[in-house]
Amino acid sequence: MHSQSLRSTITMLAPATGLIAVFVLAPMVLTILLAFTAWSTQTGFETARYVGLANFFDIFSQSSVGRDFKAALLNTALYTLGSVVLILPLSVLFGLLVHQKLAPGGILLRTVLFSSYMVPMIAVALVFSKLYSPTEGPINQIIGWIGIPPQTWLSSPKTALFSIVLLNVWQQVGYFTVLVVAGLTQIPGSLHEAARIDGANALQRFLFVTLPLLGNTLLFSAVIAVINAVQVFEPVALITQGGPVNSTNVLTYHIRRVGIERAQGGLGSAMAVTLMISLAVAVGALFAFAKAREARTA
Amino acid sequence: MSTAHALPRMSRSWTPGKAALTLLIVAIAVAAAFPLAWMLLTSLKTPQETMQVPPVWLPASPSLDAYGQVAGVINLGRSIVNSALIATLTTAAIIVTSLMAGYGFAKYRFRHRDKLFAVLIATMFLPPIVTLIPLYRIVGYLGLNASLAGVVVPNLANAFGIFLMRQFIRGVPDDLIEAARIDGASELRIVFQIVAPSVLPAIAALTLFAFVYHWNSYLWPLTVLQGNTDAYPIVISLSRLLSYNRGAMNTGLVMAGSTLAVLPPVVLFIFLQRFFVDSVVASGVKG
Repeated sequence: MHSQSLRSTITMLAPATGLIAVFVLAPMVLTILLAFTAWSTQTGFETARYVGLANFFDIFSQSSVGRDFKAALLNTALYTLGSVVLILPLSVLFGLLVHQKLAPGGILLRTVLFSSYMVPMIAVALVFSKLYSPTEGPINQIIGWIGIPPQTWLSSPKTALFSIVLLNVWQQVGYFTVLVVAGLTQIPGSLHEAARIDGANALQRFLFVTLPLLGNTLLFSAVIAVINAVQVFEPVALITQGGPVNSTNVLTYHIRRVGIERAQGGLGSAMAVTLMISLAVAVGALFAFAKAREARTA
Repeated sequence: MSTAHALPRMSRSWTPGKAALTLLIVAIAVAAAFPLAWMLLTSLKTPQETMQVPPVWLPASPSLDAYGQVAGVINLGRSIVNSALIATLTTAAIIVTSLMAGYGFAKYRFRHRDKLFAVLIATMFLPPIVTLIPLYRIVGYLGLNASLAGVVVPNLANAFGIFLMRQFIRGVPDDLIEAARIDGASELRIVFQIVAPSVLPAIAALTLFAFVYHWNSYLWPLTVLQGNTDAYPIVISLSRLLSYNRGAMNTGLVMAGSTLAVLPPVVLFIFLQRFFVDSVVASGVKG
């Protein structure tokens, strides 16, 4: 049936795979190679000089480069954890609200949530920088109505990173809500019916029918949320510049500053490789966790 | 909430539970819409109103002055044209390259097909910062730094597009393709005249994804354009609004600029949202 020639296979695949090879795969391999070199981003690749693991010792040392990188790694980990921990339960809650057929408003909620996912992160950052303003911003005013004292939000090292987590959650939660809705759609109604007949109440049906069957959706969501979160850049580049006191310095911002602005391509690449390894470990841990849970319930 | 499956949908009578649930949904929708509503309202305020403590919520006499000022600070027309060029060219190319590769992976059999596909899909999960430093240099070698071409060229194909197209093209009947072959159609003609029309919902979804992603993208254009303000897309011009007259009465200005940057992707979404949801389902769950 499939009698196509080698030539048509190449014709179909060459444009996309060629572009991805040159602009994604090659730079990825180069990042790994350059991580072991001293290299200025301003010069050609041929000027890179092999230095072994020196860059990795540097970025984990007590030097100023090392301290800043470790802080950025920690901040990114906290930011990622905070984002995932807030996004997953909220997307399940919102997904249930969008999916239910008892009361109207589901489509409205989905549209509003998903619209925010369309908004450029840079505009989200600008708008939230004004919402968070301690004096003329509405958020402190609103929490004042229910008796919460004004917060420092972006201007204090204690709250700045969390404030950026919140704006990220606001922007992203709609996407994950739709993933959850897609997962809910695939759960057969007969399972809920059977649980009802067995006398399970709504909470029990949620805990023992809905949630376990959302397992794959939630695993996928967690992986995507982690990968999205390590990419945080705009709010940091634009509003906080890594401050106050390094509290919002995150990896994407720091790697770009070192590798592009200061042209330390070798050091920046070593940082990028560390990010890749950390990400692989985090995603691997998520899969291991999901597998262990499956084994327990099976 | 999960009782939904067992009950008739939207029974006409209002019970207290149904009223409470509706109230909760509306409250969440209002809270979620609040930042954008605030952006829009603030863009219509006078400079004095934007600085007032405590904040005023509604402009006393809404005016479009801030929008006029935006055009005075940044080259607004040029920025929007740049954004439109970047997003449109990239999207068009992604659709073409993804259709072809998606068709190849869905309907052709060749050695190492699944391995090659897996490698491509893995790039979907690679954060762009990992490739940023060498990519900046590669684009320099091609002589494309500080130009719009430098923003566009590295993004003419992506793994997500290939994945999405393959998912949908697998559903196109082989008989249809075989019939076209018997009629003597070339493979390229089959892709664009037989397959493409039968996966229009996927094309609509990819259009939305790619256009919004590249309209909104910030890190790569900022890096490759190296301060060439003539080539700035609107999202980068926005950061110049913020630094302009910093700290003074520029809030309305920033909000007006943001509104202009937000409108195209959100309007496109409202038109294409049905397809977007389908594609999220295809990419997320069916596997």
